[in-house]
Parts: sequence; structure tokens; C-alpha cells
Amino acid sequence: MDLATIIEAVVKVLIVLGFVLMGVPLIVWMERKVLGHMQDRIGPERVGPFGLLQTIADGMKLFFKEDMLPAQADKVVFFLAPGLSIVTALVAATVVPWGDTVTLFGREIGLRITDVNIALLFLLGTTSMGVYGIVLGGWASNSKYPLLGGLRSSAQMISYELAQGISLVPIVMITGSLSLSQIGRAQESMWFVVPQFFAFVIFVICAVAETNRAPFDLAEAETELVAGFHTEFSSMKFALYFLSEYANMMVVAGVAITCFLGAWHGPGPIPGVLWFLIKLSLFLFFFIWLRATFPRLRYDQLMGFGWKVLLPASLLNMAVTAVVLVMKG
Amino acid sequence: MTEIILFSLFALTAVTCALGVVFHKNPVHCALLLVAVLLSLAGLFIMLHAQFIAALQVIVYAGAIMVLFLFVLMLLNVRRHEDVLTPGAAKGFGFLFALIVFVELLWVALSPGGGEQGSVGAPAALPQEFGSPAAIGRILYTTWLYPFEITSILLLVAVVGAVLLARRKFVG
Repeated sequence: MDLATIIEAVVKVLIVLGFVLMGVPLIVWMERKVLGHMQDRIGPERVGPFGLLQTIADGMKLFFKEDMLPAQADKVVFFLAPGLSIVTALVAATVVPWGDTVTLFGREIGLRITDVNIALLFLLGTTSMGVYGIVLGGWASNSKYPLLGGLRSSAQMISYELAQGISLVPIVMITGSLSLSQIGRAQESMWFVVPQFFAFVIFVICAVAETNRAPFDLAEAETELVAGFHTEFSSMKFALYFLSEYANMMVVAGVAITCFLGAWHGPGPIPGVLWFLIKLSLFLFFFIWLRATFPRLRYDQLMGFGWKVLLPASLLNMAVTAVVLVMKG
Repeated sequence: MTEIILFSLFALTAVTCALGVVFHKNPVHCALLLVAVLLSLAGLFIMLHAQFIAALQVIVYAGAIMVLFLFVLMLLNVRRHEDVLTPGAAKGFGFLFALIVFVELLWVALSPGGGEQGSVGAPAALPQEFGSPAAIGRILYTTWLYPFEITSILLLVAVVGAVLLARRKFVG
């Protein structure tokens, strides 16, 4: 390992971490603005131009808030849980490719932190570890609303993880690779959303459920559970949960783009990285749009939908794809 | 050198956390320590060039099964300092089985050739795609097809049995 390799790795890590962490305030701002306009309000507009600095101001405010510890809470786990959440979200971001290779200073540089050959499994693994942040946060608070929220979300995430994983199998079968950059490269002529439209729909629904976003935000249903698993968290611990939710949104959007929406490919002379960013913003807008449009599901409806509709549908899609692939030879 | 450092790191974490699983009073903490054990085992699998098994270890065991464990512990609300295994017979059997496994492992480690197989790192000559999903899939569906299918039937039976037991209360 020479110096250049190390420098390259450090720079890439800084870019990705910086992008995700700086992107979150922007997405939060976008969410508040878009929701505002969709609900016939203006949204934040006082701090900075177009209210752009509102999230930064909110972040500062959170930073100076008192850090509360509920009575009888499990101190270690209470401390650990928000950290687990953000760490898994950021680790998952390392395998998402944001472009093909470029040549810089005579070195071939792949535009991703790491290109592990089982990237897709790595991703599923980290997201399944992300459940712990929420479950443990709910449990460690020693309070009933967070506990119920944590239990709900763990059940929800396990159920939807299955369908999500299986909806990605056809992509693996077509490309014959679990590497995200290989999958991205395979979509130069055609985006996988065309032959695998059903898988795409299933994946997106599961992605919304996995990130605990409306209409699947049962874990933090305000009307029944106050704020769900993060009710007792204040100050930066709350901020970390907030951060990891939005970081997870970005990762899941990145995976959807890489696996179905042509990764960094796009028509015209626009460079691949820019295409990726455009698609990412559109996808995040779509997330917010969903939140403004649909009412929250009831809990039993949510579980029934996951197990009785999405899972069989994704299995069927996988079987059909396998048959078609074999017939094609 | 790196190999030895990494191995010691994972192995020490695994053993320490495993001791924690046995001796910690709080069941939820025990479950968490078990997650740590499973994760360090995944690290050891990666060192043995078995990336696929490592990924499965994280997704299936550390990710899914342990979350269910936690789920049950939280739903039952098992209190601290409460002896989960009250029957003395269960304890006796536990010690007996632990002893058997220990003797077995000791026997394998001390038998001639056992030290070589159990040494750190992978054997010198490994096929190029050893441990890759494709290689494991091929072996599972050719050489080990029958055991594989029988295992899947066994799991199916377990699932159906669990559903039957859970529903009996409401139906009958």
C-alpha cells in the first residue's frame, strides 16, 4: 500500500462522509419547503436566503440543549443506540458507487469508497444491523411509548427486509454479480427499471418502510406513540437519530438508483456523477412527495401488506425472472 | 503480522463477549454481547476467505435472529437478576453438553494433523473463487443437493409447526 492509495482512500472517505452529513441539512430544508408548499404554506423562510440556514440553526439549537437521561434508563445502551444508528447508516454509504472510474494524475480512480464483490450483501447486512439502533433506543429509555415504537419498528424492518432483499435477487441473476459497480456498469444500454419494473416497485415500497418514513412511519406515530422510539432522546442523541434517518434515505435512494435507475448512466454530455446527483435529488423529492400524499397505515395493515403481498410478489417475480433467463439460455 | 493482529482482535472479542453472554445478569445485555460474538465470528470468516458465509452470518444471525431474540426478551420483559433457567435439570444438561463439546474440540485440536488444520489463515493453495457466492451455490446444488433440500424441508416443518402451535389457542 503506497502513499497515493492511502491519500486516495482518505479523500474518498472525506467526500462521502462530507456529502452525506452536509446533504442532510439540505434534505431537511427541502422536505420542509416541499411539504410546506404542498400543504399551501410557505415553509421556513426567515433564516438565510429561502430559509436555507434554518436546519443549521436548528442543529445549533439541538447542540446546546440539555442532554437528558430518563430515570432507570439503561445508561450504556441508551448511549450506544443512537451511535449504532448513525454508524450503520454511514458504513452502508461506503459501497454505493456514485460514478464510474476516472483517471486523475495518471491514476485510475473508482468513484466509490470500496468495491467489495459482495457489496449488495454488505448493504443488506448493515441495514439489518441498523435495526438495533432503533430497538435498543426504544428499550433503553425505560418508558412505554419508546418501547412500543421500538418493537413495532423491529417487526416492521425484519418483515420488509425480506421482500427488499428478494426484490434485488433478479438484478443479481441478470448481471451475475453482487458488486454494485458491476450492476451499475451493466445498465449502460438499458436501465433495469424497464425489465424489472415490479422488482423496482417492491424495492421502493420496502425502502420507504425500511427508513421508517411516512406512510410507514409506525415506529414514530405521533398520534399514538408521542414520538416512538426517540421520545426520550434529547439534544445531540436526538440529532443523531435524525441524521441517521436522512442518511439512510440517501443510501437507500443511492441503491435504488444503482440497481434500477441506471446508476450514473444518462443521456447527453452531462458527466456521470452529476447524473447520479440529479437522480438522487429527484428520488429524495419523491420520498417527500409520498409523505405529503399518503396517510399513515394501521399497524396490522402494514404487517399484513409486507408478508401477504410484498413477499409473495417478490418471490413470484424472482421465479419468473429465473424461468425467463433459463429459457433465453 | 496483520493476520495475527486481526485474528487476535476478533478471537479475543469473541471469547470475551461469549463469557459476557454467560455471566452477565441482564438478559438484554447478554443478547447484545451475543451479537458482538456473532460479528467477530463474521470477521474470522472473512479472514478465512469465506466472505459469503460472513455476510450471511451478519444478515441472518446477527441481523435477523438476534433481533427476534431481543424482541422476545423485551415482550416478556425479563427482569434483571432473574434466573432464566430455573429448573436444575436444564442446568445440568447444559453443563453436560458444554463439557462434551469442549472435549470434542480439545480432541480435534490435539489429534495429529489437527493443529495444522486449525492454524491461523487459509491453506496455501485455494481455488480462485473459493468462498464466493457462485462457488458455494454450485456446491450446494450439486454435491450437497440432498442434505440442502432436506434441511429446507426440516425448516418448513418447523415453520408449519410453529404456526400450528400459535394458532391452536384461538381456533380450538
